[in-house]
Amino acid sequence: MKIKKHLILGLSLVMLAFSCSNDNDNIQTEASGAYEDGILITNEGNYSQGNGSVSFVSTDFSYAENTIFSNVNGKLLGDTVQSIEFYEDLAFIIVNNSQKIEVVNRYTFKSVATIDSGLNNPRYMTVLLGKGYVTNWGDGSDPSDDYVAVIDLNTFAITTTISVEEGPERIVSNATTAYVAHKGGYGQNNIVSVIDANATVLKTITVGDVPNSMAFDNLGQLYVLAEGKPSWTQDETAGKLSVIDPTNNTVISSLDFAIDQHPTNLTYGESLYYYMSGKVYKYDVDSTNLPSTAVIEGVNFNYMTVNNGVLYGVDAGDYTNNGIFKSYDLATYTAKNSKEVGIIPGGIYFNN
Amino acid sequence: MKRLVYIFLLFSIGNSTIAQSQLDSIQKLDEVILSDVKLKRYASGYKIRTLGDSILEKNSLSLTDLLRYNSNIYFKENGYGMVSSPSFRGTNASQTAVIWNGININSQLNGQVDFNTINTSNYDAVEIRSGGGSVQYGSGAIGGSVHLSNDLSFTKHTNHTVRMRYGSFDTKLANYGLSTGSEHWSVNFGIAYVNSENDYKYLGTDKINNNGQYDNLSINLNAGYLLNDHHVLKLYHQSFAGDRNFSGTLVAPSKSKYEDTNYRSMLEWDYFQRQYTSKVKVAHLLEEFKYFENKDAEHFSFGRVQSFIGNHNLNIKLTEAIDLRTIIEFAKYTGNGDNFASPNRDEFSATALWRHELSERLIYGLNIRKDFTSDFQSPFVFSVDGEYRFNESYAVKINGSKNFRVPTFNDLYWSPGGNLDLLPESSYQVDLGQEFSSKFIDLKFNAYYINTKDMIQWVPDKTGLFRPQNINKVKTYGSEVELFLKYTIGSHHLNMNSGYSYTVSKNDASAKQLIYVPLHKFNVNLSYSFKVVELFYQHQFNGEVNIIGGQLEKYDVGKLGLSYNYKIAKNVHSILQFNINNLYNTTYENVALRPMPNRNYQLQLTLKF
Repeated sequence: MKIKKHLILGLSLVMLAFSCSNDNDNIQTEASGAYEDGILITNEGNYSQGNGSVSFVSTDFSYAENTIFSNVNGKLLGDTVQSIEFYEDLAFIIVNNSQKIEVVNRYTFKSVATIDSGLNNPRYMTVLLGKGYVTNWGDGSDPSDDYVAVIDLNTFAITTTISVEEGPERIVSNATTAYVAHKGGYGQNNIVSVIDANATVLKTITVGDVPNSMAFDNLGQLYVLAEGKPSWTQDETAGKLSVIDPTNNTVISSLDFAIDQHPTNLTYGESLYYYMSGKVYKYDVDSTNLPSTAVIEGVNFNYMTVNNGVLYGVDAGDYTNNGIFKSYDLATYTAKNSKEVGIIPGGIYFNN
Repeated sequence: MKRLVYIFLLFSIGNSTIAQSQLDSIQKLDEVILSDVKLKRYASGYKIRTLGDSILEKNSLSLTDLLRYNSNIYFKENGYGMVSSPSFRGTNASQTAVIWNGININSQLNGQVDFNTINTSNYDAVEIRSGGGSVQYGSGAIGGSVHLSNDLSFTKHTNHTVRMRYGSFDTKLANYGLSTGSEHWSVNFGIAYVNSENDYKYLGTDKINNNGQYDNLSINLNAGYLLNDHHVLKLYHQSFAGDRNFSGTLVAPSKSKYEDTNYRSMLEWDYFQRQYTSKVKVAHLLEEFKYFENKDAEHFSFGRVQSFIGNHNLNIKLTEAIDLRTIIEFAKYTGNGDNFASPNRDEFSATALWRHELSERLIYGLNIRKDFTSDFQSPFVFSVDGEYRFNESYAVKINGSKNFRVPTFNDLYWSPGGNLDLLPESSYQVDLGQEFSSKFIDLKFNAYYINTKDMIQWVPDKTGLFRPQNINKVKTYGSEVELFLKYTIGSHHLNMNSGYSYTVSKNDASAKQLIYVPLHKFNVNLSYSFKVVELFYQHQFNGEVNIIGGQLEKYDVGKLGLSYNYKIAKNVHSILQFNINNLYNTTYENVALRPMPNRNYQLQLTLKF
């Protein structure tokens, strides 16, 4: 009987003795404080977990540093890091769920200011004639409170707001005009708003459903890529590529995808490139047909962009572990480099 | 109650020995008084901890507060008073079942119970059953189950309890309880209302918890009527209405609000014969929520599920030593909400429980259950348990089981992403326990292993759309020690209960400790009373936990209380109690970036008459 007792106790203790190993991720977290001549990657982080961040990777990929904002400033960047816009020596980091914009020196990442009033679900920013224009969803569940906030880039104060239709997302500008693609927020929309330097909505242009990205070509024509409504809406629509002539703000041509094709991430560098179902496609601007074959396959890009003959993309993986930043040579369409970045990478910005 | 025993004794005489008939009558008495006899009669090999009156009295009346100091369950609380979900033995929030008077009340929407929506003041006992319990309690009883029970007392009595509390952060509580009865009927009624500004300091910052206001109302009504010695009718009802603003985090402000409502009602008819007991239960559960992204705006999203449950229990005494219980249950769930249309689900289950007392020392149980569900295949589950009592002071308990958790309405129907091809999660486990007891000391030691597969996780598909998939496999093992001491010299009473748990819970793919599962957790309650004064101290230690992309620091939190018990008049007792929470003013979080309160105070007056 006694032996039995000890055996059971012994067995239980063996289970106690197991220990757990804790893997430490091998990520550079010491601040170098020097972020020129490289690439900034915004990492959205998990909603409400406050783990959004910015990573820096040198142009040659030899150096990488994660969480550069908190490395330099000793505080967390915030919740859901959406995007960055540059203006002179400043970087405006838009932190969606923290309802703020962190303004830093783009080369040292030292904090300059925090804009934390007047924003409600800020998304993207562009600079038009020395003023910042920031798209805001307002309350996600309210379709009628969406706006573009106009920021004085010297005082960092919001000087006015422009009421717009539902779900303003990406915003781009040329010398005179800002263009807002209305993805639709929680719903789906299909317009581009045209805003002038007097903060007036000149008109709205109907494009495909759910316009997710825009790019100017070297002639100044604006290409708008719409992904179409997804099948779960039970009203699936095809993706569409529309070309807007900025001189009269009308759609001069458009190309339709197949009903089950939902392209994203339009980017321009000599040709247009976009991403669809794990593949990258190249579209020459004078072509009358959409490409039928991809130039790069087997990728999983949350976001991608083209710069100097190189395609850069970010893979968010399982959305809870760190993502990966990758580059591809556009002459050979082969993979060049990759680096581990933060959680849910979603933006790539060239800091030079 | 005495009279009832007497009635049963009268029945039994002439049939068997007096001793046996006493045992029978006690069993029958259990069937009359308790709402869930299975917990007592069909769980020989399981560790069960009962938190009775004296413990409920000292604690904060929220189930989260009670259990974090009195169990090895870790709570992930989104700031004090906000959504609180458990990790029991390293499992996730939907793998702990909460059982209200024998009925599983985990949400059909997300599979969980928010432990801050349960007010413990209207219950007679809270019991913690460690280990798999799907055979007895259905979906979700993987890590263990928490039982909320109301007892019905058929004696002539009328007791009133009035409780009032005021505390820091403008926290107010009012509670009234009535228990009354006679030889034939019994009624319990309880009502509790809590309201708090909850605007505590975020220690180490200049911020306060500025969107954390909450209030809730909880009503319980239970009644029983003994028609004669063979028939009892019982009614159980509980309502809860909560209104909370949801706190933000250290880096994300919030302006949201959440209203949730729960109604639970159950009607039961029991029929007793010498060799068998039959119980028919009909229950209706309603859960409903409204979420306001902006508390000052009118738009909100909502969800609602109604459950109708019919249940028949038949307990047959096959021999003096063998009990067989069969349960058949039918349930119909209907939901509607903004993120799904109007799904419904039918469920049927058949269960058989076998309990055999081989000798005075050895009891074992064999239990099987099969569920049939309209949307998916549910597994056949079973459990085996046994207790061997070496002597009065030492017993070994062992149990092994297969358990499951069904996909929730959200998993199946959420638009977008819901996946109708999901399977239930399934889990195998073994648990070995030893219990030493003597006059002054009780010691429990358990070691367990849980292997769960087909765990449902929302992951992005090729288009980036998050969809639930049966992809995760998790292995969990650990050990627990519970130590209870009781010592009395004259009018001095010393009491201690404490628990330590070591928990390893790893995902098969990453081999990393799961997020929000502390490797070490320790809690202790000490009390010293002398005549009318009682001083008590509670302490919890939580080890470091992993979070996404980092760790949360370990912490120690203490609580000190003093109570004074005096008689105001004949039959009127009063207890005045003063508590200091977070005695050491510890800065701590149990969910990342959601600080818990600074040091705070409570004054409570309880009147009993």
